[in-house]
Amino acid sequence: MKRYLKFGIMLMAMSAALPALAGNAAKGKEKSATCVACHGADGNSSLATFPRLAGQHEDYLVQSLNAYKSGKRKNEVMKGIVAPLSKEDMADLAAYFASQRGLEIKR
Amino acid sequence: MNKAAVLLVALLGTFAMPSQAVEGRAQIAKKKVSMCIGCHGIPGYKISFPEVYHVPKLGGQHADYIVAALKAYKTGERQHPTMNGIAASLSEQDMADIAAYYAGKKK
Repeated sequence: MKRYLKFGIMLMAMSAALPALAGNAAKGKEKSATCVACHGADGNSSLATFPRLAGQHEDYLVQSLNAYKSGKRKNEVMKGIVAPLSKEDMADLAAYFASQRGLEIKR
Repeated sequence: MNKAAVLLVALLGTFAMPSQAVEGRAQIAKKKVSMCIGCHGIPGYKISFPEVYHVPKLGGQHADYIVAALKAYKTGERQHPTMNGIAASLSEQDMADIAAYYAGKKK
């Protein structure tokens, strides 16, 4: 009985940690109005100044947004844009752009 | 020189495109990307330190953006231990060639 209780609590604790990480692409699309002005409708930008985001790895996009927010990656425009984004916003946006067709792994 | 001529020259000057410092050669780059493939060419490859995330996809990215990123890594404006080291070894021509390759240019 005790063993099952311990296991059950552990399982509950683990599942509580998961939802924060996964982004919702549909919500991300709704939140992407600011992004598409520079990065293109589906993340396929036309100007080289703004990197293509479409199809990029979801976790890399989140890492980039976090880096702009902390200032580890320096860009005044992105810093301002990322400032009001919550962790959930960033996860959703990353999920949206990652799911678009664009970038590929090239050998 | 009459006023009209001066004005015409000035007008033409404003539309002058900044000349490409270096032309990228994708075919030649095939010999230069051995350093890149090890991380950027392997599906699922992740950086493990200091944070864990997928190495960004480069296939189809804007050539000029890749060059800008490599330059930022070379000057240290953008920080990443591996990329700082790799970019330090690249000349402007190398950067242009590699960027043309990943951008998907035929030549």
